Amino acid sequence: MKKVLIPILSVLFAIPFVGTAQEEISLKGKELFGDMRARHIGPALMSGRINDLEMHPTNPRIIYTGTAGGGVWKSNDGGATFAPIFDEHVQSIGVVTLDPKDPDNTIWVGTGETWTRNSVSVGDGLFKSTDGGSNFKEVPGFENSERITSVVINPNNTNEMYVGVLGALWSDSTDRGVYKSSDGGKSWDKILYVGPSTGASDVIMDPNNPSVLYTSMWQFRRSGWGFNSGGLNSALYKSTDSGATWNKIHSGFPSGKLGRIAIAVAPSDSNILYSVLETEDKSKNGLWKSKDAGKSWEHLNNDFGLVVRPFYFSRIVIDPNNPDIVLKGGLSGSISRDGGKTFKSLGNMHSDIHDLAFHINDSDMIFSGTDGGIYRSWNGGTTFEIVENLPLSQFYHISVDDAKPYNVYGGLQDNGSWYGPSTSPGGVNARDWNSVGYGDGFRVLKHPTKNIVYSEMQGAENVWRYDIDRNRTKTIQPLPKKGDAELRFNWNAPMAVSAHQPDRFYMGSQFLHVSEDMGDTWKIISPDLTTNDKSKQDQSKSGGLSVDNSGAENHTTIFTIAESPLDGNILWVGTDDGNVQVTQDGGKSWNNVTKNLTGIPANTWVYHIEASVHGKGTAYAVFEGHSSGDMKPYAMKTTDFGKTWKSIISPDIQDNAFVRNIQEDYVNENLLFLGTEMGLYVSIDGGKNWSHFTNNMPPVAVHFIDMQKQTNDIVMGTHGRGVIIIDDISPLRELNQNILSKDVHFFKSSPFTMTEDSGFAGSFGAETQFVGANKSTAARIVYYLKKRHTFGKMIMEIQDMQGNKITSLSPGKSKGINVVDWNFNTVNPKMAAAKTLSFGGFTSPRVPEGKYKVVLQKGKDTYEQMIETTYDKNSITTVADRKKQEALTKEMFDMVEDLAYMVYEIGEMQSKAKEVIDANGKGTKDAQKLWDELENLRTDLVITTGDNYVASAEPELRERMGELYSNVATSYDNVSGRLMQNYELIKEEFTKEQTRFATIKEKEGKKFKKALDKAGMEAPNLKSKEEFLKKD
Amino acid sequence: MKTLKTLVIALVVLAIAPAMTAQTVDEIINNYFENTGGIDAWNKVEGAKMVGSANQGGMEIPVTMYQTTDGKQMIQINFQGQQMTMLSFDGENMWSTNMMTMAAEKSDTETTENMKKNMGSFPSPFLNYKEKGFQAEYLGKETKEGAEVFKVKLTMQPIMVDGKEQPNVSFFYFDTENYVPIMSETEIPSGPMKGQMAISTFSDYQEVDGLYFPFSLSMAGQAIDMKEIKLNPEVDNAMFAFPEDKK
Repeated sequence: MKKVLIPILSVLFAIPFVGTAQEEISLKGKELFGDMRARHIGPALMSGRINDLEMHPTNPRIIYTGTAGGGVWKSNDGGATFAPIFDEHVQSIGVVTLDPKDPDNTIWVGTGETWTRNSVSVGDGLFKSTDGGSNFKEVPGFENSERITSVVINPNNTNEMYVGVLGALWSDSTDRGVYKSSDGGKSWDKILYVGPSTGASDVIMDPNNPSVLYTSMWQFRRSGWGFNSGGLNSALYKSTDSGATWNKIHSGFPSGKLGRIAIAVAPSDSNILYSVLETEDKSKNGLWKSKDAGKSWEHLNNDFGLVVRPFYFSRIVIDPNNPDIVLKGGLSGSISRDGGKTFKSLGNMHSDIHDLAFHINDSDMIFSGTDGGIYRSWNGGTTFEIVENLPLSQFYHISVDDAKPYNVYGGLQDNGSWYGPSTSPGGVNARDWNSVGYGDGFRVLKHPTKNIVYSEMQGAENVWRYDIDRNRTKTIQPLPKKGDAELRFNWNAPMAVSAHQPDRFYMGSQFLHVSEDMGDTWKIISPDLTTNDKSKQDQSKSGGLSVDNSGAENHTTIFTIAESPLDGNILWVGTDDGNVQVTQDGGKSWNNVTKNLTGIPANTWVYHIEASVHGKGTAYAVFEGHSSGDMKPYAMKTTDFGKTWKSIISPDIQDNAFVRNIQEDYVNENLLFLGTEMGLYVSIDGGKNWSHFTNNMPPVAVHFIDMQKQTNDIVMGTHGRGVIIIDDISPLRELNQNILSKDVHFFKSSPFTMTEDSGFAGSFGAETQFVGANKSTAARIVYYLKKRHTFGKMIMEIQDMQGNKITSLSPGKSKGINVVDWNFNTVNPKMAAAKTLSFGGFTSPRVPEGKYKVVLQKGKDTYEQMIETTYDKNSITTVADRKKQEALTKEMFDMVEDLAYMVYEIGEMQSKAKEVIDANGKGTKDAQKLWDELENLRTDLVITTGDNYVASAEPELRERMGELYSNVATSYDNVSGRLMQNYELIKEEFTKEQTRFATIKEKEGKKFKKALDKAGMEAPNLKSKEEFLKKD
Repeated sequence: MKTLKTLVIALVVLAIAPAMTAQTVDEIINNYFENTGGIDAWNKVEGAKMVGSANQGGMEIPVTMYQTTDGKQMIQINFQGQQMTMLSFDGENMWSTNMMTMAAEKSDTETTENMKKNMGSFPSPFLNYKEKGFQAEYLGKETKEGAEVFKVKLTMQPIMVDGKEQPNVSFFYFDTENYVPIMSETEIPSGPMKGQMAISTFSDYQEVDGLYFPFSLSMAGQAIDMKEIKLNPEVDNAMFAFPEDKK
């Protein structure tokens, strides 16, 4: 009965599709990409910004961190290493809180980072896991929260909990305030709300009395051109009735406006509170202390470490065992051991400390969350070491070169500029990355022909031209000359190299600057291309109560420059205040096409323009208005130099996934890649439909996408998870209705180079360091399956063009695109049986250059595809020498197997002889003679004693033969003299042993045979050689 | 005919009322067993011998596995005529062959004890899972391997990891079309990959004495293809036992 299940299944499942056979197959969704996966190459050596640290209350091995742009990570080993646990959700995290009664399973994640610098990402609500972080579900009620600062749970009644919502950074919001749930998060009441511009910057609970709560409310606002911290609505509140009523506790505080307020209660003494204030009176800023649970306050300290950048560092952490030991976040971080009277800086580590945590059992151990990852101290904060496997790097921009393997260049938030290889022996390690710029790093571009790199720091304060070969650096930023207006550079100032003149280099201030000599001299080739709105140009007062003029808010500047790959006179410019301008004559005349951008709100930031290879007048522009509170995705395409535009956004894109970048395919105009705040979207039909790419790709903010032309790789600079690569997207070019309707479709492939690289790769440090995944050097066999293969046999083989099997592969069975790697190997030889292993026998020779068939057998159907392999063009040998190497490899392979068969024959004959000996009847003597002779021979052929390590026996013929075979087979070089000499020796020895075996068979063997005949016993039943060597 | 009936019902439900596809975990599990031979037949399985091979870069490694419902199991591979036991467990001792000395060595006590606590996972941890003290929970639909799947959380007996108790949770993904598991995920409890998910996939289901088994498995990227599965093979209990004199 069950044998008919399969046919029945296929018939049954065919029925519902009969009527819809002609229907279009959807060109989107997860299934489109099958097992086409992204790979992450970091880097992790400088890590990225940490927003929050959370210690498990009873198990010191478990630590969580909420990161600014890279999701939630969990350590199971006391902070030695971390692993990501939030990769299906928004990656910008405000707070992680464990349920005090069920800390192993129940985890709350409030999203949206809370240290509100200019470049922050946005959150997307409140999430809960009930299984230790394996799965998270969104908790309704916080969809528009943008930033959650606090989740606080009553340890005695975990159904009672509070959530602090800081809220929108760039706009008014009524979602701000403190929320309470009495039913474990099912329903929520807003219990403290001050106004649309004032959010909850901290909510804490007295650990000894859960009905006592403290909340700091903060009035703040950011725009594209300024920041304001402080107002009359900022305040510190206390509730003693579980949030029913709130009172300000300002006794002793200066009057007037307040800014961001930090607050902490000593776990060991509920009367002791510390607070950090930002006030109108500079002398009253900094640390305040209360010894009576907030009734009165005393000002203790306004050292730099206590007053620095309150919006960025308002965090106080008190030693759980000692109320006098106080940690404060800051540029360097500070520690007091005298109850806040005096502080000293924490030990050296990456600057900008946002959160700190004491080990639960030993206050000498301190964890620190910085702009450059997590650090650990073992000595009370004097020495810090970095956690090395957090690839949280926050790229603003990346680019690639055309080296083999290609390099990735990019600049990082607060972590300089770098380049590193896309693939490297042993994986992409920390040591593979090279520093090419200080400060905040942004755009990094390789000179098209010379080994020279351009990089920059914030506001183009320095633009560097770095000659890698000579190790020489020169600053080349455009400077004003007589008569020029003051230049306004964006914090992330645009630069571009020319595809038409290798030494030509562009930069944008409010003008477009061009240099024909790699930045030594500059010419302005445009008028002010921005709106030049003066009201957005005074940054000297930005910051509010504490001036914060870091240059990060410079506005009305050019932000993107695109030179047409088809014509060097066509240049596109986009500005941060919404202008799109184009010239078709190298800058002599400019056309402002902003008014043609139907559907784009005025002054919406032009984040990127991509000049197309598919037409001189074709370009894409993406816009994002998040710095005015508009999170909607915008992307437009023009084919007529900007006269008309059409939107290429579809409802498939999440409505708050604002767009920062677009990359077109160089071959198929309809294939597009969209970098959004919520990850990567791909369209294969010119933007009519979009699919979210989620295969090993978290919904992290994608700030820049480049496509490497030789490999067809999509390379993404993410703001929180480093560089993420999707290898060879060329199969996506072929996808269409016809292919999607086929059961199986093999995608075309170019000939595969059989790389001969054979360097060394030390894996030192890899135990606790992040190591980026490498690009496979194997042949990628890519095919599409209409359905996931689950029932019946499905196998894949490589065959030569005559149909002889070379090796078998394990095919992927996913619906959608499957990728199977073949490393060009055939199979390994069958080795003679012995007491120990001959490692030479594990070598499978490579195939020669040529054409091969991939044969996929799926049930009764067979599908074939031809692929081609080629020798490495960087080979150090000639084809003639290689043919000799291949011939000798084949000879050695056969010799190894001949020996294996000989040893098998010997073994079978010995067993038979043993049988006779054991029976102890007639012929025992002949049998014993034969057995002895064979055993003498066998011990000369193979190892019969010892082990695989230091008790190993001297190598016998098998081991030496196997070693030579392996040496010949794995050397992609001419067969050297030493190998040939060794070959002669081994061949001679083997011939001698073959003769010896023949003689034994002739002499003792025949006698034994006669004895067997007499005894009426059968001769040993030997497998034929063919049968013996048969491979499955 | 029972199988057919279940499938027809499932199809009708899927085709007519897509909104009414609410599932309970027991429906999913029952459908799985019914579609692959019937719960009665599954309950009659006492053990299996599986012969297959793992391909590593052109090297076919023959693999033989034994599993019994009373918890014994053994995985052996063969290199160059040398039989090596990757894992053997007789209900009391767990051991493997040391690749350097080729001698048998016992696993550490914690690992062995964890094995003892979760002996009921053959032929399927879901078979009579409640009696085994396991819990199963349906978490909703997802897409895995491009297919629509039911995600089911399986909680077996807690294990000890480096001296601390830890829940033993894995996730199984059942294809919504035919209710057989096509993927599982288990958190790696210790070692350098600790905390990350070990992903296994199952395909090439084929019939063995009326029951359907996946003949192709992939564990952490390593594929194992079965050539033969023999149900209720004769097993000598001694072969699982730690060979005291093998040193």
